[in-house]
Amino acid sequence: MDSEALLECVTSMSCLVTQTSTGLIVGSLLFLVATGLTMIFGVLGIVNFAHGSLYMLGAYIALSAFRLTDSFIIATAIGALGVGLFSLFFERFFMRRVYGADVLMQLLVCYAFILILDDAVKIIWGSEFQSMGMPAYFQEPPVFLAGGVIPVFYIYLIGIAATMAVGLWVLLNKTKIGKIVRAAAVNPSMTSALGLNTSLIFAGVFAFGGALAGLAGALAAPVRSMSPGMGFSVLIESFIVTVIGGMGSVSGALVGALIIGLIRSFGSIGFPYFIEGVMFITMAAILVLKPSGIMGKETR
Amino acid sequence: MNVGSFSREALIAAIVLSILIAIPFFSDSSAIIDFGIRLAAFAVFATSLNMLVGFGGMVSFGHALYFGAGAYSFGLIMQHFALPIPLAFVLAVAFCATVAAIVGAICVRLKEIYFAFLTLAFQMLFHSIIISWTSFTGGDQGLMGGLPRPPFLGLDLVNPVDLYWFAVVVGVVALLLMRYILQSPFGYTLRMVRDNADRAKFLGVNVWRIRLFAFILAGSFGGVGGIIMALLVSGAFPEFTYWTMSGEAVFMVLMGGVNTFIGPVLGAALLLGFNDFITRVTDHHGLALGGIILLFALVFKHGITDFIVQGWQRVAGKKVDS
Amino acid sequence: MQKRSQALASQQRRQLIKGSAAAVGLASIGLPGISLAQNNPIKIGMPTILSGRVAMLGEASRNAALMGVEMFNAAGGLNGRPVELIIRDSKGRPDEAARIARELVNSDGCEMVLDAEASSGAFAVHEVARDLGFLVIHTCSETSALTADPKMRIPNGFRAARQGVQDAIVGGDYAGRVAKEQGLNRWMSVSPDYSYGLDTTAEFFEYLQYFNKDIEVVNSVWPKLFQADYSEPITRLLQGKPQAIYSCLWGGDLTSFIDQASIYGLMNDRQFFGVNMADYAVLTAIKSVPPNIHSGNRYLKSIPKTQQNAAWCDAYVAKFNTMPLNWSWENAVGIDFMLKAIKQTNGTDTKKMSEALAGMTIDSPFGTDGKITMRESDHTIIDYAIAWGDLQPKEPYMSNPYMGNWKTILELEQQWMKNKGYIS
Repeated sequence: MDSEALLECVTSMSCLVTQTSTGLIVGSLLFLVATGLTMIFGVLGIVNFAHGSLYMLGAYIALSAFRLTDSFIIATAIGALGVGLFSLFFERFFMRRVYGADVLMQLLVCYAFILILDDAVKIIWGSEFQSMGMPAYFQEPPVFLAGGVIPVFYIYLIGIAATMAVGLWVLLNKTKIGKIVRAAAVNPSMTSALGLNTSLIFAGVFAFGGALAGLAGALAAPVRSMSPGMGFSVLIESFIVTVIGGMGSVSGALVGALIIGLIRSFGSIGFPYFIEGVMFITMAAILVLKPSGIMGKETR
Repeated sequence: MNVGSFSREALIAAIVLSILIAIPFFSDSSAIIDFGIRLAAFAVFATSLNMLVGFGGMVSFGHALYFGAGAYSFGLIMQHFALPIPLAFVLAVAFCATVAAIVGAICVRLKEIYFAFLTLAFQMLFHSIIISWTSFTGGDQGLMGGLPRPPFLGLDLVNPVDLYWFAVVVGVVALLLMRYILQSPFGYTLRMVRDNADRAKFLGVNVWRIRLFAFILAGSFGGVGGIIMALLVSGAFPEFTYWTMSGEAVFMVLMGGVNTFIGPVLGAALLLGFNDFITRVTDHHGLALGGIILLFALVFKHGITDFIVQGWQRVAGKKVDS
Repeated sequence: MQKRSQALASQQRRQLIKGSAAAVGLASIGLPGISLAQNNPIKIGMPTILSGRVAMLGEASRNAALMGVEMFNAAGGLNGRPVELIIRDSKGRPDEAARIARELVNSDGCEMVLDAEASSGAFAVHEVARDLGFLVIHTCSETSALTADPKMRIPNGFRAARQGVQDAIVGGDYAGRVAKEQGLNRWMSVSPDYSYGLDTTAEFFEYLQYFNKDIEVVNSVWPKLFQADYSEPITRLLQGKPQAIYSCLWGGDLTSFIDQASIYGLMNDRQFFGVNMADYAVLTAIKSVPPNIHSGNRYLKSIPKTQQNAAWCDAYVAKFNTMPLNWSWENAVGIDFMLKAIKQTNGTDTKKMSEALAGMTIDSPFGTDGKITMRESDHTIIDYAIAWGDLQPKEPYMSNPYMGNWKTILELEQQWMKNKGYIS
């Protein structure tokens, strides 16, 4: 533990700015992935272990779309939509059969899909790692803020994540659809008894959650190389985020993602050898002290 | 507990063991021997998990911690001290029990999915430590240089057939012990806690203690599986404590059937068999294995033995106590 | 007429039944259906990684080995007997690698193993070879300890791959020189946090400081292997303000790192020494090679700059439609040694082959002077071409390589082995 370096950084403006922005960067994509995961759990009660593979699929679809259209915006949109559609198919034909079944059965179905998707991606795109490359309009020099460095692309990324966060809040709290979704999360049988098509709601939420993961994958594609099996690392981290923030809570996903982002960024200065350990210990601590997570409610 | 029924089961175990021991005399196949050793390791591992899942109602995602703890502690003891194997065996199991006691004391209070996640967190923490502590554990390369395996009781475990006999005896004995425990008053109390913890509490059962005890037992037997594996590969690898290993145990339990004792053993045999067969036959084992798993999860919807038991119940028209 | 054909048919049926009973009987005791055909191939088992994140390793290895076997068979094999490679996927799990090695040798009739497993898998297969006694040549593991550590030594175990410490000596020599020329005294490193990353980085800096006493390693960052996001290592590096950075990140990780570092402008004012840059997979994935980059040669068509190397590369590309990688040349060398041992001993006897291999020299397109030797003392290869140089954005990528001098390498390696306690 290098507390001296940590203190030095926290008291230096440039270091503080850089590391905090790094935490935001790391957290932004995690937030998008984790939000999908937490919404699916909140409304459907399913732990979607295949979520990391959906992220991977989004990245690959966006890659192909970018190669065809040379437009990052279109590629991202196609990536997100494509994964949304796939998630819909996945939910309708597979997950629906294990609703209410043991969580282990859900795990089994998801694991089967992870295996199948990893192989499918390898067959379609090849086993070599691929790289999308930075689209032309992002190839600008980084921005300097109070001595800290922030690349333009990441400002865009943080912007999108923030917009999604606000948009989701508005959607869930201020619109009728949001009200319906929240109702289905709290009491699906009652919601159904009131005449609402819970089956449709479930499908919609699953597709939306998947699309978010796909969006994250597409957004990450310009800077992260992709290979079959890249979903695993994202999966573990997004689980940690949802557990810390609270399974089922979107604001929890935001808080959790920020916490993990900051642990990673300041951890690389203060305790570089044990960043992962700290993340797992934090997860364990939350589970022991407040299992429903920081923003979670006690009942679920 | 019915003494009569247990001695009947001990008899069955003895017969099965005799058959298993006899196999190398009739067949030269090293494939069967190797399969037998691996099956022994995984059958014990999967059954130990089912003590928690099927009989205790406690879904653990982090059971591989004990598989790895058993393998590493045994391996390290042999590499550093070269004790007689039976002694190292006992010490390694004791280590797993201790770890299980500590982890269990923290985890067992939690409910359901949170319990599952916490066991996973502990397992990943353990994995993290093993990977980082390169000077002691070899890090990501595992224990290098092989394990000394001094002969004992006329057995030389470097010889695959001797190792097979050892593994098969240990495996059957471990399964028999677990069966005994689960058929004992403790086992029935555990099932009562699984079915309705609140009712059990009202009846005066110390739920936390029962669960912790089950956790420690499961961890100890899980470690036995790891020790057998360590002897087979003459080492220990961090993959033994990775969540993919936990996942495999879960699949073995699910595919074999959570509601019977022998289910996980069957599931282990199935999964190992599938794995070996698929990797010989095709490069696309992801598609193949994924397809098979979907078949179980969506079509059969239950493990094989559950399927059989249900079918039997329907045919025989009576209820069978699990 | 009918009776005769019936009799014939029933006789054929009886033979078929006998034959299949025999086959079933044989199969039940584990022997593969012994082909009663003429060619009785020599089977070489090859465990490797064909799925998951490191699937490229298996494909590159397999391609090169197949090419070597084809040429051998086309030239007549061993007195008419062809060689057959039986390749199996261990999925990157060392216990699977061990199982597959056992299966290949015990059940599939393989008489030797070309082990194209990564480091942990190689150690696992090595123990199986120790227990079962078959010939094994490791082709992908660069961990020095695999052959340098006397504990690991077995008469039937060999390594045909570059060795980490040998590579580090050349790198330190080259980098020390460049550092002196350009006044690069303040260094940092960013390498993956696992044995390969830790050992290789330590070895590089050991020799860098040996060749240039002015070097100061200010700090090191250790991202996890396959970590997707390098923001925090990059910002850490930016804050350290080094004049030069060393990294042994490889493959997709290196590509991600370079792509992310570029948008931070990390590479602008400093020199980057990435030992794994000069690898066609990385060079083709990165859209444009940034300036100020130096690398060791994983595999480059132009190093060594010989007609044989170019020809081998062209043949590989023609056959597999992709560029060869580091693992490709290592497996090509491995299979060459194995095949030469078969030819030289006129058979597949493990003891004879092992004795032949110890100290054997082969002609190889990848040797510094056209030859590579399997060192007798520790069963690892020497005299293969190691080079370092600065990189340009297109072929030949490294136009001005500094070739490693094996006299120097061997001297310093001896010292290193003494320091580690591997020799007294």
